[in-house]
Amino acid sequence: MRFRGLIGAVGLAALLGAAAAAAQPVFDQAKYPDWKGQWLRTGRGNGNAWDPTKPIGLGEQAPLTPEYEAIYEAGLKDEANGGQGIDPTYLCVPSGMPRGMIAVLPMEIIITPETTYVALELFNMRRRIYTDGRDFPTKLTPSFAGYSIGHWQDSKGSGRFDELVVETRGLKGPHTYDSSGVPFHTDEQAVITERLYSDRNDPNILHNEVTTIDHALTRPWTVTRSYHRDPRPQPLWTETYCTEDNHHVLIGGHNYVVSGDGYLMPARKDEPPPDLRNFQTAK
Amino acid sequence: MLTKSSIGATVLAAALLLPLLAKAEDAKRYPDWDALWIRGSPVGAWDPANPPGRAQKPPLTPEFQAVWQANLAKQAKGEDFDIKATCGPVGMPRLMTLYEPIEIVVKPKMTYMLAESMSPIRRIYTDGREWPKIEDAGFLGFSIGKWSDTTNSGTYDTLEVETRSMRGPRLMDSSGIPLHPDNQTVVKEKMYLDQKDPDVLHNDITTYDHAFTQPWTVSRFYRREHNPIFAEYNCTEDNPWLAIGGELYLKDAQGYVMPIQKNQPPPDPKYFQKYWPAKK
Repeated sequence: MRFRGLIGAVGLAALLGAAAAAAQPVFDQAKYPDWKGQWLRTGRGNGNAWDPTKPIGLGEQAPLTPEYEAIYEAGLKDEANGGQGIDPTYLCVPSGMPRGMIAVLPMEIIITPETTYVALELFNMRRRIYTDGRDFPTKLTPSFAGYSIGHWQDSKGSGRFDELVVETRGLKGPHTYDSSGVPFHTDEQAVITERLYSDRNDPNILHNEVTTIDHALTRPWTVTRSYHRDPRPQPLWTETYCTEDNHHVLIGGHNYVVSGDGYLMPARKDEPPPDLRNFQTAK
Repeated sequence: MLTKSSIGATVLAAALLLPLLAKAEDAKRYPDWDALWIRGSPVGAWDPANPPGRAQKPPLTPEFQAVWQANLAKQAKGEDFDIKATCGPVGMPRLMTLYEPIEIVVKPKMTYMLAESMSPIRRIYTDGREWPKIEDAGFLGFSIGKWSDTTNSGTYDTLEVETRSMRGPRLMDSSGIPLHPDNQTVVKEKMYLDQKDPDVLHNDITTYDHAFTQPWTVSRFYRREHNPIFAEYNCTEDNPWLAIGGELYLKDAQGYVMPIQKNQPPPDPKYFQKYWPAKK
């Protein structure tokens, strides 16, 4: 019957249309900067201080309030005595934002129109920077990477975006700026703004001007971190897991180390053995 | 018989056609898989067609069947056998059970799989590269994929992936089905959307490993989340499990170690006695 054939043809066309509709929207790469590849931090060698222009520790001159300066100095003293200070990452707690942007290990930036992803190889930290025009949700669930909203800018009017301005809120603690333990306020109200842009003279250098506003600081703290692109066409990516071989355990507030043969060891001199009260009561 | 000139003409035609074919391939579009995907197949067993545990019937060699039985016995006694208990990485192919969701981001030269649980990133290279000369590319290994347009619709619909160079130790699932410690595992996957439901992604996974008597193929599926809430899942943040000397313990609310089995011995503090003997 003639109409059956027509209905069949319409059905087929609808199916083909559905298949075409299932394709990904075309991404106009020419509108966005070429930030592809593997980015490595510049300026290694000063102990990964948050402010790369200063020596790590008190030399960073973090603009801390007296209360938080005292917390920082107590942490440094503990570290000098063999402790871990207030840096929680030895227990594989994520370093979070903004510390992750030190990029101790390589970083990849994946740009899509709605979201820019920042993939950091050190302990697989990942950020989603929403660039779809949304506002911050009224209620944020705190996270170590935080909730980031970005805006692309074409600062030169060239028709191509060249800067990504990002604001991050909803940060969870405990976290510190770097391994020396420069602290954040415990109220988890920190706000981070970033301006990511390519170097004017070298497209293989990326800069990130990071400003932190936090109640532990007397004023906003701005540092500029930079990254250079690995020139290899196929740089190798891998994974790192803090938990793969972490021997630190925290028992009753004391840090111990599990030895290679599976026994508990003290992590510093004169550390008392673990309190095994639950085993004593079980007897 | 082909004459020299006809061979020449054929070679020339092929030479002219190849760039056109390559261009046609370049013009193909990628499927709209960019989304957060949650597990559809049940978790806890590698083969969703069989119940978890002994009913899985993995094709293990006698040697690795014994390893699995030992792991099941350890599980029953609360002993340490699975690195996941202490937040260790599960690696491939176990990641693809999607214990927690995975976001897929498709780019022409790479498909990213952003896993929520402990946040590893699986990169599937689709840029036509060769296998690199590396033995250890991490627990997720090194993945090379190839897109195909099986219906010739102009849009790719199937991603076939091969993964090699995985690090160990890895298990197939939480019952402790082992993989060979030689880490020569090869995983082949075929991913495609369901014919009737574009919110269902199928993954036919075949694992080749020296712990097996034959390749082991299972079919898993994932569901597209239309209203995703992207979250962090940091197992380490408040994981109460401790593995000390092959025993698993729990920490109580105050952070002190407690037994998980009746008459479980406490952790042996012999190194405290060795380095800092009790003062008299």
